Amino acid sequence: MTRPTHLRIPNPHLGAYYGILTSAFVSLAIMLALFEQLGSARLWLAYGMLVLPLALYVALAAAAHTLDIGDYFASGRRVPPVFNGFVLATVAAGGTGYFAYTGTTFLLGFDALAIGLAWAVGLFAATVLFTPFLRKSGAYTLPSFLGHRFRSRTVRIMASLLLIPPTAMLLVAELKAASVVAALFLPFSEGVALIAIAIVIAAVALFGGMRSVTWSSSLGFIVGAIGIGVPLIIVAVLVTNLPAPQLTYGETFQSLQNLESILGLGPAQPMPVGEALPVAQPSPSAKPFLQAFGLIGRADTIALFLCLVLGTASLPSLLTRSGVTPTTSDQRRSGGWAVLFVSLFAMTAPALAAFAKILMLQDLAQPGSSPPGWLTQLNATGLGFVRDANGDGTVSGSELFVARDAIALVLPMAANLPFVCTLLMAAGGMGVAIAAASNHLFTIGGSIAEDIIRIVDRSGSLPRLTIAWVTIGAVGIAACVFLMFADIDLLRAAIAAFAFAGATFFPVLVLAIWWRRCTKLGAMVAMGTGFAVMVLDAFFGGLSGSGPLQAPIAALIGVCLSAAAGVAGTLFGPGLQSAEESYFEDLRDPAGEAIYDRAQRRIMAPSS
Amino acid sequence: MVSEPEQTDRHQLQTLILGVASVAGIILLVTGTMLLAPILNRFGFLHFPLGFYLVAQGLFIAIIVAAFLFVKYQDRLDLRREEGDETP
Repeated sequence: MTRPTHLRIPNPHLGAYYGILTSAFVSLAIMLALFEQLGSARLWLAYGMLVLPLALYVALAAAAHTLDIGDYFASGRRVPPVFNGFVLATVAAGGTGYFAYTGTTFLLGFDALAIGLAWAVGLFAATVLFTPFLRKSGAYTLPSFLGHRFRSRTVRIMASLLLIPPTAMLLVAELKAASVVAALFLPFSEGVALIAIAIVIAAVALFGGMRSVTWSSSLGFIVGAIGIGVPLIIVAVLVTNLPAPQLTYGETFQSLQNLESILGLGPAQPMPVGEALPVAQPSPSAKPFLQAFGLIGRADTIALFLCLVLGTASLPSLLTRSGVTPTTSDQRRSGGWAVLFVSLFAMTAPALAAFAKILMLQDLAQPGSSPPGWLTQLNATGLGFVRDANGDGTVSGSELFVARDAIALVLPMAANLPFVCTLLMAAGGMGVAIAAASNHLFTIGGSIAEDIIRIVDRSGSLPRLTIAWVTIGAVGIAACVFLMFADIDLLRAAIAAFAFAGATFFPVLVLAIWWRRCTKLGAMVAMGTGFAVMVLDAFFGGLSGSGPLQAPIAALIGVCLSAAAGVAGTLFGPGLQSAEESYFEDLRDPAGEAIYDRAQRRIMAPSS
Repeated sequence: MVSEPEQTDRHQLQTLILGVASVAGIILLVTGTMLLAPILNRFGFLHFPLGFYLVAQGLFIAIIVAAFLFVKYQDRLDLRREEGDETP
């Protein structure tokens, strides 16, 4: 595929820069491990391991500051596919995946695996169906693409407004994940940690927009990979003698099944998905790890899987990144890398959960022993406890209560690894959560600036970047204030966000990209119908799991009704304009310059 | 000699077929394997029950391979169209 000649090539030294940054982080971890052995206080180790990477993210963002519009909104269209893959995978899984998915896998075993599969299939579907075409369009935001495709400001403003609820849910979930971890290890209240994390995220998004978000998030991905990988590999060596946790944790299954049997963990019966998914508060393991469809039945598993696939494929924060690579081919390639990276994480989570479970159950199964160290630490932080419910003096598997989001942090404790390994895991989760949150923040702030304020302010009196700075800052403050007063469950917020995104945007994107005849009216009706179904479901308690219709099923119904409404709106509404048709034709031609860039050059040409 | 509109139509049709086949194939493979996992668990693979292994790892490997194969074939289709466009 030929590369348009006017494009700037990606920085050839990026690999070296990130090699240096990775080495710096690894060196920091080794140095702190040495200090721990020399008797340094845990508080100072926590400061070093958690605060220094934060400073690094902000410094990297500051180094990537820009006042160029193309750099600010599309990172200059010169992000190499691998680096875009890093960020896409980080945004898809996020800190929610890092903490809540590993914990859910620990508590539900097999039943949770559909979530990880959905991220991989969703990214694959986005790569096939949407992102190369969005790259060809060159629009800076998802609503901007829809506005250009249908030649309609109304569609653009409507899409921007509907993009806010799902992206905001993910933003507050990531913000909460990072601030809870910070408050756990540092001597700050959760509120202070929240403000500090929000400032870091806002700084990352403000300095250089998409450019600083991209380079800072790439480092967040690397820190996350080291954070989860190193402690897990050490545990795998201790338990199985091999440094390949994903391949070797199967060896522990026989012992795990025996322990579950000794501790009285019997097969479970399926229940509605909203009740089956574990809550954030400490809860017991309710089923054997390997039992298939124990708590979540077959139909609910498939519904959850499809809902998350559709949500991932049409997640605005992921699709906003479609314009950052040099060509459409590079955009597809970055999708391939994202599938690889998110799959590696999703393959790692069950290994982490299985090792954590066997180590914890082994300790509990030893008769007459004093409480293990990890249980004492969990008790002290309120993240876990043992309750002898039947008063028989022994602990059964269902009497161990562990907080879902703490499992990743419990693994190094249960394996008696140095405290630095727990901090490494925490720093990794924080890095991923901050990376994902900065992407969500930029997506909302950038869209409000570009697709609402600039469209409403037709005089163009306000500078473009100033609007973006103000909206990004305002959204960051709003998210922070919201979390000060509201308590959210990471996993449920993420599932609700994916359900909203899938029902609202998946059908309209399919129709806009793959159906020439789709019109403005069809697009508006499709988006409105999908969103309305989810709002109705939320109104009747479906998102919290208490309503008659669970969020995944509501999302699938929303997608079907939205697609039908889009087709009906197109067939029975006004006909297609020639401008819409010619844009569609241009969109489907993979070669050449982005449509938006070409239009900008044409506008600039007479004045230069 | 194929005319430019024909070349474009053929490219769009091939892109549609490749896209639909890839996504539908992967979704069917994943849902089918998940539903069959309890039956497949009677067999073992690398110390894992086979059904669990496929859902926890095997399907991911298939998705990764499918993603990179899709990139390769779609690039080939795009290149063919580009060369067709440049032919006088």
